[in-house]
Amino acid sequence: MRVEVIMPKMGESIHEGTLIKWHKKKGDKVSKDEIIFEIATDKVDTEIPSSVDGILAEIKVFENETVDIDTVVAIIETDSESAEPAPKKEVVKDPAEDLQTTTKVGGNLIDVVMPKMGESVMEGTIIKWHKSVGDKVERDEILFEIATDKVDTEVPAISAGTLVEIFVKENETVDVETVVGRISSEGGLVKGKESEIRSQKSEEEILETTAKETVLGENSILPADKAGVKSETEKQSHPIGESNRFYSPLVLNIARKEGISFDELESLSGTGVGGRVSKRDILAYLKDRKSGKVFEQKATKVEVEKGTAQKDGVEIIPMDNIRKRIMQHMLNSRDTSVHVTAITEVEMTIIDKFLKEKKKKFMEEDGVKLTFLSFIARATVKALREYPMMNASLEGENILLKKFVNLGIAVAIEPNGLIVPNIKNADEINTKGLSRAIADLGFRARNKKLLPDEISGGTFSITNYGVFGSLFGTPIINQPEVGILGVGAVVKKPVVVTIDDVDSIAIKPMMYLSLSHDHRLVDGLLGGKFLKYVKDYLENFDTSKV
Amino acid sequence: MANKYDVAILGGGPGGYVAAIRAAQLGFKTVVIDKDNLGGICLNWGCIPTKSLIKNAELYDVMKNHAKDFGITVEGLSYDFSAIIKRSRKIADRISKSVDYLIRKNEVVRVKGFGKLLSKNEIGIFDTEGKQTEIIEADKIILATGASPKIVPPIPVDREFIITSKEAMSLPEQPESLIVIGAGAIGVEFAYFYHTFGTKVTIIEMLDNILPIEDEEVSKTLETNFKKSGMEIYTSTRVDKAVVVDGEVVVTIEKDGEKKELRASKVLSAIGVSGNISGLGLEDVGVEVERGHIKVNYETYQTNIDSIYAIGDVIGAPWLAHVASAEAITCIERIKGMEVASVDYGKIPGCTYCQPQVASIGLTEQKAKEEGYEIKIGKFPFSASGKAFASGDREGFVKLIFDAKYGELLGAHIIGSEATELIAEAGLAISMEATHESIIKTIHAHPTLSEAVMEAAANAYGESIHI
Repeated sequence: MRVEVIMPKMGESIHEGTLIKWHKKKGDKVSKDEIIFEIATDKVDTEIPSSVDGILAEIKVFENETVDIDTVVAIIETDSESAEPAPKKEVVKDPAEDLQTTTKVGGNLIDVVMPKMGESVMEGTIIKWHKSVGDKVERDEILFEIATDKVDTEVPAISAGTLVEIFVKENETVDVETVVGRISSEGGLVKGKESEIRSQKSEEEILETTAKETVLGENSILPADKAGVKSETEKQSHPIGESNRFYSPLVLNIARKEGISFDELESLSGTGVGGRVSKRDILAYLKDRKSGKVFEQKATKVEVEKGTAQKDGVEIIPMDNIRKRIMQHMLNSRDTSVHVTAITEVEMTIIDKFLKEKKKKFMEEDGVKLTFLSFIARATVKALREYPMMNASLEGENILLKKFVNLGIAVAIEPNGLIVPNIKNADEINTKGLSRAIADLGFRARNKKLLPDEISGGTFSITNYGVFGSLFGTPIINQPEVGILGVGAVVKKPVVVTIDDVDSIAIKPMMYLSLSHDHRLVDGLLGGKFLKYVKDYLENFDTSKV
Repeated sequence: MANKYDVAILGGGPGGYVAAIRAAQLGFKTVVIDKDNLGGICLNWGCIPTKSLIKNAELYDVMKNHAKDFGITVEGLSYDFSAIIKRSRKIADRISKSVDYLIRKNEVVRVKGFGKLLSKNEIGIFDTEGKQTEIIEADKIILATGASPKIVPPIPVDREFIITSKEAMSLPEQPESLIVIGAGAIGVEFAYFYHTFGTKVTIIEMLDNILPIEDEEVSKTLETNFKKSGMEIYTSTRVDKAVVVDGEVVVTIEKDGEKKELRASKVLSAIGVSGNISGLGLEDVGVEVERGHIKVNYETYQTNIDSIYAIGDVIGAPWLAHVASAEAITCIERIKGMEVASVDYGKIPGCTYCQPQVASIGLTEQKAKEEGYEIKIGKFPFSASGKAFASGDREGFVKLIFDAKYGELLGAHIIGSEATELIAEAGLAISMEATHESIIKTIHAHPTLSEAVMEAAANAYGESIHI
């Protein structure tokens, strides 16, 4: 552990002290209570003992220097292993370090990218760098070797100069077009991302900068410190989303630390300068979210934002945020997926009979209101298990096959809302459990009590327009899923039944199911099979296992 | 017949004249009423003339005490006290005239005279003899009558021996000795001014520190500095009474139960200010007053009477010109129906122009802790700044207070040369909700004193390069 030794406060009115003598040198062992230095203040002169055992790893204040009280004058390393007072200079001289801390630069910087080796090749692995940082390279000279799933090849330099940075190490795999290194066309060394800015500077300015750092930089930066700085920067450079709105660094920090998603942030209204979301706004939201009031706030917001206008008998109503979000989601889905819809008709006799007989019993014994939807949900998760491609999503040209089923249930919210919370691991829940989960999500969605986690991460959705009496529809897929099952109303219909090769007409409870699926991934074959599976499961439902 | 206006503003200080100009800009027919020159206390008897005096003191101090450090020999150095005062008065006049010009340029009507509320929409104008000369009728009336030095019975101000800031900046002769009662910004600035020119100065402060609203560390540093330069300072000390005896003032003080008498040729009472609320007709119209100031809604500045508003010192602390101006603009814009953010009273900078200067914004260390923040403190002494070294101003430091949880800059406290200019960066950072990273990653020009702000931020996170 590194212990800071500070200039002690020697009295109420004393604000500074002069270090008059060091009793120990850097690297010396010190014991607790052993005198390590002497100080003089305008009131008293005194000797200062060490508070710990260890090794004097660093001296920050030299003899005859005057510093404010509480200034760190030295560092004692108590852990003797790492305490070996690694001489700073050696650290700096480490070649890799040296290059990264150097600030001198000249010439243009040229990005070296992972080349695209064929139409379907999306990534490549660097298997060997032929040059190291600081090496001169000629144009067309081999710079590194890569391996892709199609070809392995050597990559030549596109420009002469000096290899100043390597971002992707050997055996690392990156997407094509990723910058893997940089060449400075006229030589020189650069440091990190500052290079782009610095390269614009004239040689003199740079010399002056370097000189300045030499003069004032009495203490070199320790590697540990630098790592700290770097990780901060990296954290900074991850914006949590793209937006036209400005968020202050503080608001972004709060969002990041409190796990507020970018969408949530976008939905907040601001009271700051120019309607900006301020610390006060986000903290108020946070408080509401913790107390489960989040969606309520959104609802009241709609009222505030409404502000209608009349023009030539046409009322102009600005969309509220919920409407805007639904609009964006729908457009996005239409533009993303190739929708096709297949429809089947299901005879619900078994389930209808079961519900008529047992609904009351379940209500009384378990407090569960069994509905057609819970049976359909059960059949759907079974079908998803059978046909996992329907439980997938697309990312670029990759198929992400989900090993879990988070079943989304679309819930309409009066007067103007739609939300699709999902039942986590729905494949591990029986019909009764699903019934309970659907009722619970529906209730909480309508009462604005959903948790953020419950509206993300769905893998397949069901929408039940049958409750409005609709027979069938062509639902829009809830992105990034690849399928959605539309449930129509269960109605009694005359149907042809064949018993012992004799056709006759009977009255049966019938229901249409329509499946919209993304043709990019799911073809008619799979869609049809999936739908058939659901139909068969429902028509032959084993009601002993509800 | 009454003259009709959209907005009538009573008082032409930094609250009133700014309100008048903003109102005119937004298309209101506006009148501003003041019995004196425009600019109020700030321009005529406060901020500006005292800054002029302070500049004299700084120059004299450099020539007298530091010329040698710079290799400059000064012989026969002397000063003319009345010329110093004259310069200050001249500057006040000039700047008041430029406010006249701004008022004319914006076509605001200027009425000179005493104004008194006659009804919720009428102001009567009276001349120096108390004769009513005019009635002004307005939809909205804004009271911006400011404040005056507070006078309490134990310290009977006679404006000759026991004086206020107004007399202190226009004395015909330099006093041999001066006791300053109250070590707020006004007291401390006059103490510095007179002490620098050789008056024997004693400061008496009732609270534990001079500049008691500042961060304790800053106050203590200033106190040490003043004491080193030879000023006498009594803190945690009460003034029992001040009496004039044989052309000098005898002040009885009490510290830790012990009484003591101090004598000086003048006493400056700088114990605070109170709102100018008398003679305005407030009672007649029924405007509510609370503990010496007009009661308003701090979002709209509306009083309990819907057509009457009040801004600036007359509505109470923090008694700062820049706050009055901010309130003026917010008040007018809200009257216009614009959606504007409210004045954030937690983000107002405060400056004291003695040497070393003191400036601050936001929470002090103590206050931040009281409010339950877990804090990170970053400090950077000017003794580690190359620029401060070069200019021979190595005293003081920058102290920044951050919320450890989210990295918000909660407060900034600067003592040292140009502190009052340096605080602006912290003000912007706080109002834009910048975090420590924003400050650390902003490139500050080298060599400047402002680098100390960046270094202090870095210091809070263990990343400072130069300490």
